[in-house]
Amino acid sequence: MTSQSHRAHQPRRTTAERKSFAAVLLGDGRGAATDHRDFPGEPVLITGLGAACALGRGTDALLAGILGGEPAFGPVTRFDTTRCKVKVAAQLPGSPALADELAAVIGEACGMAGLSRQERASCALLIALHSDPAAARDPGAGQVTGTTPATVAGRCGLAGVLRTYSTACVASSTAAADAAAMIAAGTVDRVVVAAGYLVEADSHGLFDAGRALSTDGWLRPFSAGRRGMLLGDGFAAAVLESASAARGRQATALATLAGWGRSGDAYDVCRPRPDGTGLAKAIGYALRRAGLRPGEVGYVNASGSGTPHGDSAEAAALHLAFGPTVTQLPVSSTKSVHGHALEASALLELVATVLVMRRGRLPSNAGFLGPDEDCQLDLVLGAPRWRQPRYALSLNAAFGGANTALLVGAR
Amino acid sequence: MSRASAPPVLPAGLARAEIGELEGAGLAVLAAADFPAAAGDVLPDIVRFVVSSFSPLVAELAERCLTRYFAARPADPGRGERTGVVLASTSGDFATAMAVAEAVDAGRRVPPMLFYQSNPNAVVGYLTARWGLAGPVVCTSPPRDALGDALRAARLLIQDGDAAAILVIVAEQGRPAPPGGTQLAAGQDHGAAMLIGPGSWPPARSPDPAGGAA
Repeated sequence: MTSQSHRAHQPRRTTAERKSFAAVLLGDGRGAATDHRDFPGEPVLITGLGAACALGRGTDALLAGILGGEPAFGPVTRFDTTRCKVKVAAQLPGSPALADELAAVIGEACGMAGLSRQERASCALLIALHSDPAAARDPGAGQVTGTTPATVAGRCGLAGVLRTYSTACVASSTAAADAAAMIAAGTVDRVVVAAGYLVEADSHGLFDAGRALSTDGWLRPFSAGRRGMLLGDGFAAAVLESASAARGRQATALATLAGWGRSGDAYDVCRPRPDGTGLAKAIGYALRRAGLRPGEVGYVNASGSGTPHGDSAEAAALHLAFGPTVTQLPVSSTKSVHGHALEASALLELVATVLVMRRGRLPSNAGFLGPDEDCQLDLVLGAPRWRQPRYALSLNAAFGGANTALLVGAR
Repeated sequence: MSRASAPPVLPAGLARAEIGELEGAGLAVLAAADFPAAAGDVLPDIVRFVVSSFSPLVAELAERCLTRYFAARPADPGRGERTGVVLASTSGDFATAMAVAEAVDAGRRVPPMLFYQSNPNAVVGYLTARWGLAGPVVCTSPPRDALGDALRAARLLIQDGDAAAILVIVAEQGRPAPPGGTQLAAGQDHGAAMLIGPGSWPPARSPDPAGGAA
């Protein structure tokens, strides 16, 4: 699974071919779908956000950390790494507990949204979690994901758990897309989406054994010499609601979830399809749902996990989906500073995307050593870039060829 | 002998109300399969997946169900491109999780092969690559009623437009009894698979061996 072996598989496309593919994928821009249903529905608003990661607790700390551009990786202190090659991760200080951190970010999001106790009590939870290490050691446990979802919903005064997602690195973005789909369809008015992951010995040992972790202590998305990912604690929550429900309680929208898309690669157990067609399809769905042309997107918070094959496949997807306009599209991956929070990462990155859009500064892609010919993108390097995009994409890709694209609109 | 109109045998536990909801949405159960299908039913091993029966169970359910609809791999591109997978499991892959925990607790390095089956997406990637299914991939971990959860997730994906059809898989792994053991007792694993799609799609191309009259 080296970058060299990957390049041997990757077909080269000319600019014309890329443009042609994008045209097929996107139709003629606005609502020209032939194989995908346009879904106008209710506009979906984001009215509350919560976050915690090694950059700090709270959305203010997340924004300051990603704009500061200083990676939060350090020696693992939470468990013994003697048997691991990589002994670095991005961790919250102290001894955080999964349910406590989840309750805190949900509380922050519900508080920001101004939800009353009654409104919370009628609001269901969609949650994304990694398997619980304690469950694997508990002979009485009935689920590898443990009982955290119900515990957290109860502590936060929510109506209950609507669904628990375990779709690896797109678990929480799938939850957000499903929440938006339910709201747009009028099935529900309001949903809390939450996700959490704490770096622990089992998952760190797995990713270390699989040689997925970067051996130089940096997560370098799209960079020459990138060596892989690094794990990081991550917690995030978002309140999504219909425009009419938000209007009814005079809530302030932070952003819209203007489009979303989910797709598969049909390619491999863990490697992404090298030509990026699967992820490009998800991007196309998101754009078409929002009725946008590719050139109207002003920033991409990329999946950018720092793996040789993953980043080059994502770059190929961006070229396919955006065609020639990709050269004017700023791209960075906030994983470069907060690490990869597995099932929770996508939601943390969605929160980060909303925050930087509202601030009007695009975060830098940290750890960059130099350009890679397979990742020719307009990367945000060095200082954050001043720009206030009208629309931004948050992309994620996972094991099993699962892809998601979430399209955020400014308010 | 044509079996084109023979209805698929539906998994036990699929309530009539759920079928009615599917039909109300213009959808149909195009094919279905169970494991175990009969006493003594065994799961074939699959390459690259070790220690645990969870991934072989998922792969076998998919193989049986999709073979009944498409007859042979891969699916025809027109339908495969628009077919996704929803995998729901209340238990999850306990055997893999326990094998990792054992290695960590014993101070050993985690076996590298376990990385490739460390989450449920992995086996879905295996089966979608074999069958050419390029729709969305969703895995859920419901506390109960995995079939209902999977069907609701599937309907949402179809109604939302990201897929035209969904292979719904429910897979439950028996819990290993003895501490330190990861080998499951035969017969404990069970599951069901259903291909949910437009009622307008052609009927199954392969006879359902457990189905009705020929």
